[in-house]
Amino acid sequence: MEISGWDVAAVFAKAVTYAATFGAAGAVFFSLYCGPLLRDQQRGLIRRLIAILVGAAAAASVLRILLLAGSMSGEMAGMFNSTFANMILGAGEGRASGVRIVGLALILFALSKHPVFRGAAIVGAMAASTSFAWVGHIHGLVPNTAPSLLLCLHLLCAAFWLGALPPLLIIATGAHEPQIAAAAARFGKLALRVVALLIAAGASLLLILIGSAAQFWASDYGRMMAIKLLVVAALLSLAAWNKLALTPRLLRGDARAMVKFRRSLLAEMSVGALILLTTAAFTTLTGPP
Amino acid sequence: MLKNSLLAFALCGLVAAGPCMAHAKLQSSSPADNAHLTEAPKTLTLKFSEAAQLAVLKLVRDGKEVPVPLDKSAKASQTFTLTLPALSPGNYTVQWAAVAADDGHVTKGSFVFSIAA
Repeated sequence: MEISGWDVAAVFAKAVTYAATFGAAGAVFFSLYCGPLLRDQQRGLIRRLIAILVGAAAAASVLRILLLAGSMSGEMAGMFNSTFANMILGAGEGRASGVRIVGLALILFALSKHPVFRGAAIVGAMAASTSFAWVGHIHGLVPNTAPSLLLCLHLLCAAFWLGALPPLLIIATGAHEPQIAAAAARFGKLALRVVALLIAAGASLLLILIGSAAQFWASDYGRMMAIKLLVVAALLSLAAWNKLALTPRLLRGDARAMVKFRRSLLAEMSVGALILLTTAAFTTLTGPP
Repeated sequence: MLKNSLLAFALCGLVAAGPCMAHAKLQSSSPADNAHLTEAPKTLTLKFSEAAQLAVLKLVRDGKEVPVPLDKSAKASQTFTLTLPALSPGNYTVQWAAVAADDGHVTKGSFVFSIAA
Protein backbone atom coordinates (compact mmCIF):
# COMPACT_ATOMS: atom_id res chain seq x y z
CA MET A 1 0.00 0.00 0.00
CA GLU A 2 1.56 3.28 -1.16
CA ILE A 3 0.64 6.32 0.92
CA SER A 4 1.20 9.81 -0.46
CA GLY A 5 1.23 13.14 1.34
CA TRP A 6 -2.23 13.77 -0.12
CA ASP A 7 -3.51 10.58 1.48
CA VAL A 8 -2.10 11.57 4.88
CA ALA A 9 -3.67 15.03 4.61
CA ALA A 10 -7.04 13.51 3.58
CA VAL A 11 -6.91 11.12 6.56
CA PHE A 12 -6.26 13.99 8.99
CA ALA A 13 -9.04 16.09 7.42
CA LYS A 14 -11.44 13.16 7.83
CA ALA A 15 -10.38 12.63 11.46
CA VAL A 16 -10.96 16.34 12.20
CA THR A 17 -14.36 16.11 10.46
CA TYR A 18 -15.29 13.14 12.66
CA ALA A 19 -14.03 14.78 15.85
CA ALA A 20 -15.65 18.18 15.27
CA THR A 21 -18.97 16.71 14.08
CA PHE A 22 -19.21 14.20 16.94
CA GLY A 23 -18.08 16.93 19.35
CA ALA A 24 -20.78 19.38 18.23
CA ALA A 25 -23.51 16.70 18.09
CA GLY A 26 -22.44 15.13 21.40
CA ALA A 27 -22.49 18.52 23.13
CA VAL A 28 -26.09 19.01 21.96
CA PHE A 29 -27.04 15.55 23.35
CA PHE A 30 -25.17 16.33 26.59
CA SER A 31 -27.06 19.63 27.02
CA LEU A 32 -30.29 17.65 26.67
CA TYR A 33 -29.74 15.13 29.47
CA CYS A 34 -27.41 17.17 31.71
CA GLY A 35 -28.93 20.61 30.97
CA PRO A 36 -30.75 20.99 34.31
CA LEU A 37 -27.47 20.33 36.16
CA LEU A 38 -25.59 23.11 34.35
CA ARG A 39 -25.00 26.67 35.47
CA ASP A 40 -25.48 29.61 33.11
CA GLN A 41 -21.74 30.12 32.72
CA GLN A 42 -21.24 26.44 31.82
CA ARG A 43 -24.13 26.58 29.33
CA GLY A 44 -22.45 29.60 27.73
CA LEU A 45 -19.12 27.78 27.45
CA ILE A 46 -20.77 24.71 25.91
CA ARG A 47 -22.63 26.90 23.41
CA ARG A 48 -19.32 28.55 22.46
CA LEU A 49 -17.74 25.10 22.08
CA ILE A 50 -20.62 24.00 19.81
CA ALA A 51 -20.17 27.09 17.58
CA ILE A 52 -16.43 26.44 17.21
CA LEU A 53 -16.91 22.74 16.47
CA VAL A 54 -19.64 23.40 13.89
CA GLY A 55 -17.28 25.78 12.05
CA ALA A 56 -14.40 23.29 12.26
CA ALA A 57 -16.56 20.39 11.02
CA ALA A 58 -17.82 22.38 8.02
CA ALA A 59 -14.33 23.63 7.13
CA ALA A 60 -12.77 20.15 7.46
CA SER A 61 -15.53 18.62 5.29
CA VAL A 62 -14.80 21.09 2.48
CA LEU A 63 -11.02 20.71 2.90
CA ARG A 64 -11.28 16.92 2.64
CA ILE A 65 -13.10 17.14 -0.71
CA LEU A 66 -10.43 19.53 -2.01
CA LEU A 67 -7.66 17.17 -0.79
CA LEU A 68 -9.30 14.14 -2.42
CA ALA A 69 -9.56 16.10 -5.69
CA GLY A 70 -5.89 17.08 -5.34
CA SER A 71 -4.88 13.49 -4.65
CA MET A 72 -6.25 12.38 -8.03
CA SER A 73 -3.72 14.37 -10.02
CA GLY A 74 -1.14 14.68 -7.26
CA GLU A 75 -0.94 18.42 -7.98
CA MET A 76 -2.19 21.51 -6.12
CA ALA A 77 -4.15 22.54 -9.22
CA GLY A 78 -6.19 19.34 -8.86
CA MET A 79 -7.69 20.68 -5.63
CA PHE A 80 -9.53 23.32 -7.61
CA ASN A 81 -10.42 21.14 -10.61
CA SER A 82 -14.22 21.24 -10.75
CA THR A 83 -14.40 17.98 -12.77
CA PHE A 84 -12.56 16.07 -10.02
CA ALA A 85 -14.65 17.71 -7.29
CA ASN A 86 -17.86 16.84 -9.16
CA MET A 87 -16.78 13.20 -9.50
CA ILE A 88 -16.19 12.94 -5.75
CA LEU A 89 -19.42 14.77 -4.89
CA GLY A 90 -21.41 12.69 -7.38
CA ALA A 91 -20.12 9.38 -5.99
CA GLY A 92 -21.80 9.86 -2.61
CA GLU A 93 -19.51 12.30 -0.84
CA GLY A 94 -21.78 15.15 -1.98
CA ARG A 95 -24.81 13.44 -0.40
CA ALA A 96 -22.93 12.85 2.87
CA SER A 97 -21.44 16.36 2.99
CA GLY A 98 -24.81 17.93 2.15
CA VAL A 99 -26.57 16.10 4.99
CA ARG A 100 -23.69 17.03 7.34
CA ILE A 101 -23.77 20.74 6.42
CA VAL A 102 -27.56 20.90 6.88
CA GLY A 103 -27.22 19.03 10.20
CA LEU A 104 -24.46 21.36 11.38
CA ALA A 105 -26.58 24.39 10.42
CA LEU A 106 -29.46 23.01 12.50
CA ILE A 107 -27.09 22.39 15.43
CA LEU A 108 -26.51 26.14 15.49
CA PHE A 109 -30.06 26.46 16.87
CA ALA A 110 -28.51 25.15 20.11
CA LEU A 111 -26.82 28.56 20.44
CA SER A 112 -30.23 30.08 21.15
CA LYS A 113 -31.26 30.12 24.79
CA HIS A 114 -34.88 29.56 23.77
CA PRO A 115 -35.99 25.95 24.41
CA VAL A 116 -38.22 26.00 21.29
CA PHE A 117 -35.10 25.64 19.11
CA ARG A 118 -33.80 22.63 21.04
CA GLY A 119 -35.71 20.17 18.84
CA ALA A 120 -34.12 21.53 15.66
CA ALA A 121 -30.66 21.28 17.23
CA ILE A 122 -31.25 17.64 18.24
CA VAL A 123 -32.45 16.73 14.72
CA GLY A 124 -29.35 18.50 13.37
CA ALA A 125 -27.07 16.61 15.77
CA MET A 126 -28.56 13.29 14.66
CA ALA A 127 -28.30 14.20 10.96
CA ALA A 128 -24.72 15.48 11.23
CA SER A 129 -23.40 12.53 13.25
CA THR A 130 -25.03 9.94 10.94
CA SER A 131 -24.02 11.80 7.74
CA PHE A 132 -20.94 9.55 7.41
CA ALA A 133 -23.27 6.62 6.68
CA TRP A 134 -24.33 8.24 3.39
CA VAL A 135 -21.08 7.25 1.73
CA GLY A 136 -18.49 4.52 2.21
CA HIS A 137 -17.91 0.81 2.07
CA ILE A 138 -21.41 -0.28 3.10
CA HIS A 139 -22.74 1.22 -0.13
CA GLY A 140 -21.02 -1.63 -1.96
CA LEU A 141 -23.34 -4.11 -0.20
CA VAL A 142 -26.56 -5.37 -1.75
CA PRO A 143 -28.94 -4.83 0.04
CA ASN A 144 -27.46 -2.24 2.37
CA THR A 145 -30.44 -1.06 4.45
CA ALA A 146 -29.63 -3.08 7.57
CA PRO A 147 -25.88 -2.27 7.48
CA SER A 148 -26.69 1.42 6.90
CA LEU A 149 -28.98 1.52 9.92
CA LEU A 150 -26.40 -0.32 12.03
CA LEU A 151 -23.78 2.22 10.97
CA CYS A 152 -26.14 5.11 11.84
CA LEU A 153 -26.62 3.58 15.30
CA HIS A 154 -22.84 3.12 15.69
CA LEU A 155 -22.23 6.75 14.70
CA LEU A 156 -24.95 8.14 16.99
CA CYS A 157 -23.52 6.21 19.94
CA ALA A 158 -19.98 7.40 19.11
CA ALA A 159 -21.19 11.02 19.01
CA PHE A 160 -23.02 10.55 22.32
CA TRP A 161 -19.95 9.10 24.04
CA LEU A 162 -17.02 11.05 22.57
CA GLY A 163 -19.00 14.28 22.27
CA ALA A 164 -19.85 14.27 25.97
CA LEU A 165 -16.20 14.38 27.05
CA PRO A 166 -15.45 18.10 26.32
CA PRO A 167 -18.64 19.34 28.12
CA LEU A 168 -17.80 17.05 31.07
CA LEU A 169 -14.33 18.60 31.16
CA ILE A 170 -15.88 22.09 31.14
CA ILE A 171 -17.94 21.13 34.20
CA ALA A 172 -14.98 19.39 35.87
CA THR A 173 -12.82 22.50 35.44
CA GLY A 174 -15.01 25.02 37.18
CA ALA A 175 -17.49 23.28 39.44
CA HIS A 176 -17.74 21.70 42.88
CA GLU A 177 -17.66 17.97 43.50
CA PRO A 178 -21.42 17.46 43.91
CA GLN A 179 -22.23 19.00 40.52
CA ILE A 180 -19.45 17.08 38.77
CA ALA A 181 -20.50 13.87 40.49
CA ALA A 182 -24.13 14.39 39.46
CA ALA A 183 -23.19 15.06 35.80
CA ALA A 184 -20.73 12.15 35.70
CA ALA A 185 -23.27 9.81 37.27
CA ARG A 186 -26.02 10.84 34.83
CA PHE A 187 -23.69 10.47 31.84
CA GLY A 188 -22.30 7.17 33.16
CA LYS A 189 -25.76 5.67 33.59
CA LEU A 190 -26.73 6.43 29.98
CA ALA A 191 -23.26 5.65 28.62
CA LEU A 192 -23.42 2.08 29.88
CA ARG A 193 -26.30 1.29 27.50
CA VAL A 194 -25.00 3.49 24.70
CA VAL A 195 -21.54 1.88 24.74
CA ALA A 196 -23.14 -1.60 24.69
CA LEU A 197 -25.12 -0.57 21.59
CA LEU A 198 -22.01 1.00 20.04
CA ILE A 199 -20.03 -2.23 20.43
CA ALA A 200 -22.91 -4.46 19.27
CA ALA A 201 -23.51 -2.36 16.15
CA GLY A 202 -19.77 -2.09 15.41
CA ALA A 203 -19.19 -5.84 15.82
CA SER A 204 -22.15 -6.63 13.54
CA LEU A 205 -20.82 -4.26 10.87
CA LEU A 206 -17.38 -5.81 11.14
CA LEU A 207 -18.84 -9.27 10.55
CA ILE A 208 -20.86 -8.02 7.59
CA LEU A 209 -17.92 -6.21 5.98
CA ILE A 210 -15.15 -8.73 6.62
CA GLY A 211 -16.96 -12.04 6.88
CA SER A 212 -14.35 -14.29 8.50
CA ALA A 213 -11.38 -14.21 10.86
CA ALA A 214 -9.09 -15.42 8.08
CA GLN A 215 -10.02 -12.46 5.87
CA PHE A 216 -9.70 -10.14 8.87
CA TRP A 217 -6.00 -10.93 9.40
CA ALA A 218 -5.20 -11.33 5.71
CA SER A 219 -6.26 -7.81 4.74
CA ASP A 220 -4.83 -4.32 5.41
CA TYR A 221 -8.38 -3.31 6.35
CA GLY A 222 -8.60 -6.03 9.01
CA ARG A 223 -5.15 -5.32 10.43
CA MET A 224 -5.87 -1.58 10.68
CA MET A 225 -9.23 -2.40 12.25
CA ALA A 226 -7.35 -4.53 14.83
CA ILE A 227 -5.36 -1.44 15.85
CA LYS A 228 -8.63 0.46 16.28
CA LEU A 229 -10.07 -2.34 18.42
CA LEU A 230 -7.00 -2.26 20.68
CA VAL A 231 -7.40 1.51 21.17
CA VAL A 232 -11.14 1.06 21.78
CA ALA A 233 -10.29 -1.48 24.51
CA ALA A 234 -8.01 1.14 26.13
CA LEU A 235 -10.84 3.72 26.02
CA LEU A 236 -13.30 1.24 27.52
CA SER A 237 -10.87 0.57 30.37
CA LEU A 238 -10.53 4.28 31.08
CA ALA A 239 -14.30 4.76 30.95
CA ALA A 240 -14.84 1.81 33.29
CA TRP A 241 -12.29 3.25 35.77
CA ASN A 242 -14.10 6.59 35.54
CA LYS A 243 -17.48 5.08 36.22
CA LEU A 244 -16.61 2.39 38.75
CA ALA A 245 -13.81 4.04 40.72
CA LEU A 246 -13.84 7.83 40.27
CA THR A 247 -17.56 8.64 40.09
CA PRO A 248 -18.36 6.94 43.45
CA ARG A 249 -15.46 8.88 45.03
CA LEU A 250 -16.81 12.13 43.55
CA LEU A 251 -20.27 11.30 44.92
CA ARG A 252 -18.68 10.89 48.37
CA GLY A 253 -17.13 14.38 47.99
CA ASP A 254 -13.52 13.22 47.66
CA ALA A 255 -11.62 16.32 46.43
CA ARG A 256 -8.59 14.30 45.28
CA ALA A 257 -10.81 12.32 42.92
CA MET A 258 -11.60 15.59 41.08
CA VAL A 259 -8.02 15.97 39.80
CA LYS A 260 -7.94 12.33 38.72
CA PHE A 261 -11.32 12.74 37.03
CA ARG A 262 -10.04 15.69 34.96
CA ARG A 263 -6.90 13.77 33.95
CA SER A 264 -8.99 10.76 33.11
CA LEU A 265 -11.25 12.87 30.86
CA LEU A 266 -8.22 14.33 29.07
CA ALA A 267 -6.84 10.82 28.59
CA GLU A 268 -10.21 9.61 27.27
CA MET A 269 -10.31 12.53 24.81
CA SER A 270 -6.78 11.71 23.58
CA VAL A 271 -7.57 8.02 23.14
CA GLY A 272 -10.88 8.96 21.46
CA ALA A 273 -8.96 11.17 19.00
CA LEU A 274 -6.66 8.22 18.25
CA ILE A 275 -9.70 6.01 17.51
CA LEU A 276 -11.06 8.60 15.08
CA LEU A 277 -7.66 8.92 13.40
CA THR A 278 -7.40 5.13 13.00
CA THR A 279 -10.94 4.97 11.63
CA ALA A 280 -10.21 7.79 9.17
CA ALA A 281 -7.06 5.93 8.07
CA PHE A 282 -8.57 2.53 7.37
CA THR A 283 -11.71 3.90 5.74
CA THR A 284 -9.66 6.18 3.45
CA LEU A 285 -6.64 4.03 2.61
CA THR A 286 -8.09 0.54 2.52
CA GLY A 287 -11.32 -1.28 1.72
CA PRO A 288 -12.92 -4.46 3.07
CA PRO A 289 -11.41 -7.65 1.59
CA MET B 1 -35.82 -6.37 24.32
CA LEU B 2 -33.63 -3.71 22.70
CA LYS B 3 -30.61 -6.04 22.63
CA ASN B 4 -32.69 -8.85 21.11
CA SER B 5 -34.06 -6.53 18.42
CA LEU B 6 -30.57 -5.32 17.56
CA LEU B 7 -29.25 -8.88 17.40
CA ALA B 8 -32.08 -9.95 15.10
CA PHE B 9 -31.51 -6.90 12.93
CA ALA B 10 -27.77 -7.56 12.70
CA LEU B 11 -28.38 -11.21 11.80
CA CYS B 12 -30.76 -10.12 9.03
CA GLY B 13 -27.99 -7.85 7.74
CA LEU B 14 -25.45 -10.69 7.89
CA VAL B 15 -27.69 -13.11 6.05
CA ALA B 16 -29.07 -10.71 3.46
CA ALA B 17 -26.03 -8.59 2.60
CA GLY B 18 -24.01 -9.70 -0.38
CA PRO B 19 -20.24 -9.47 -0.63
CA CYS B 20 -18.85 -6.02 -0.03
CA MET B 21 -16.66 -4.63 -2.80
CA ALA B 22 -13.47 -2.89 -1.80
CA HIS B 23 -12.19 0.26 -3.49
CA ALA B 24 -12.14 0.22 -7.29
CA LYS B 25 -8.97 -1.76 -8.00
CA LEU B 26 -7.44 -2.23 -11.41
CA GLN B 27 -8.07 -5.90 -12.21
CA SER B 28 -6.43 -6.02 -15.61
CA SER B 29 -5.27 -3.83 -18.44
CA SER B 30 -4.41 -4.12 -22.10
CA PRO B 31 -1.51 -3.71 -22.65
CA ALA B 32 -0.87 -5.60 -19.42
CA ASP B 33 1.57 -4.46 -16.74
CA ASN B 34 5.18 -5.11 -17.86
CA ALA B 35 4.05 -6.17 -21.35
CA HIS B 36 6.72 -6.11 -24.05
CA LEU B 37 4.99 -5.43 -27.34
CA THR B 38 6.34 -5.86 -30.84
CA GLU B 39 3.94 -3.35 -32.33
CA ALA B 40 2.18 -0.25 -31.01
CA PRO B 41 -1.27 -0.85 -29.47
CA LYS B 42 -4.15 1.10 -30.96
CA THR B 43 -6.23 1.12 -27.77
CA LEU B 44 -5.68 1.09 -24.01
CA THR B 45 -8.17 -0.86 -21.88
CA LEU B 46 -8.51 -0.72 -18.10
CA LYS B 47 -10.80 -3.10 -16.21
CA PHE B 48 -11.70 -2.31 -12.60
CA SER B 49 -13.07 -4.51 -9.81
CA GLU B 50 -16.21 -2.37 -9.62
CA ALA B 51 -17.88 0.50 -11.49
CA ALA B 52 -15.83 3.68 -11.30
CA GLN B 53 -15.25 6.98 -13.01
CA LEU B 54 -11.85 7.36 -14.58
CA ALA B 55 -10.64 10.77 -13.47
CA VAL B 56 -7.00 10.78 -14.56
CA LEU B 57 -5.16 8.89 -17.25
CA LYS B 58 -1.61 9.92 -18.10
CA LEU B 59 0.56 8.13 -20.62
CA VAL B 60 4.20 9.07 -20.11
CA ARG B 61 7.20 8.21 -22.31
CA ASP B 62 10.69 9.35 -21.27
CA GLY B 63 9.20 11.88 -18.85
CA LYS B 64 6.97 13.42 -21.51
CA GLU B 65 3.21 13.08 -21.49
CA VAL B 66 1.56 11.60 -24.56
CA PRO B 67 -1.92 13.09 -24.85
CA VAL B 68 -4.73 10.52 -24.66
CA PRO B 69 -8.32 11.78 -24.99
CA LEU B 70 -10.37 10.93 -21.86
CA ASP B 71 -14.07 11.70 -21.50
CA LYS B 72 -14.28 12.69 -17.84
CA SER B 73 -18.04 13.15 -18.06
CA ALA B 74 -18.55 9.51 -19.07
CA LYS B 75 -20.77 7.39 -16.82
CA ALA B 76 -19.21 5.09 -14.27
CA SER B 77 -18.13 1.78 -15.76
CA GLN B 78 -16.00 -1.25 -14.92
CA THR B 79 -14.15 -1.14 -18.25
CA PHE B 80 -12.66 1.81 -20.11
CA THR B 81 -11.24 1.56 -23.61
CA LEU B 82 -9.34 4.59 -24.88
CA THR B 83 -8.05 5.21 -28.39
CA LEU B 84 -4.31 5.76 -28.44
CA PRO B 85 -2.39 8.00 -30.85
CA ALA B 86 0.36 6.40 -32.96
CA LEU B 87 2.97 5.37 -30.39
CA SER B 88 6.66 5.16 -31.19
CA PRO B 89 8.93 2.46 -29.72
CA GLY B 90 9.98 3.00 -26.08
CA ASN B 91 9.00 2.50 -22.47
CA TYR B 92 5.61 3.81 -21.38
CA THR B 93 4.07 4.41 -17.97
CA VAL B 94 0.30 4.64 -17.52
CA GLN B 95 -0.85 6.58 -14.44
CA TRP B 96 -4.51 6.47 -13.51
CA ALA B 97 -6.90 7.68 -10.80
CA ALA B 98 -10.52 6.54 -10.39
CA VAL B 99 -13.47 7.26 -8.13
CA ALA B 100 -15.57 4.24 -7.10
CA ALA B 101 -19.18 4.84 -8.10
CA ASP B 102 -20.83 3.34 -5.02
CA ASP B 103 -18.50 4.24 -2.16
CA GLY B 104 -16.85 7.41 -3.52
CA HIS B 105 -13.32 6.31 -2.71
CA VAL B 106 -10.38 7.47 -4.79
CA THR B 107 -7.87 4.87 -6.00
CA LYS B 108 -4.70 5.48 -7.96
CA GLY B 109 -2.08 3.39 -9.61
CA SER B 110 0.31 2.96 -12.50
CA PHE B 111 1.67 0.25 -14.78
CA VAL B 112 4.26 0.05 -17.50
CA PHE B 113 4.63 -1.48 -20.95
CA SER B 114 7.19 -1.21 -23.69
CA ILE B 115 7.14 -1.25 -27.48
CA ALA B 116 10.15 -2.81 -29.21
CA ALA B 117 11.96 -0.84 -31.90
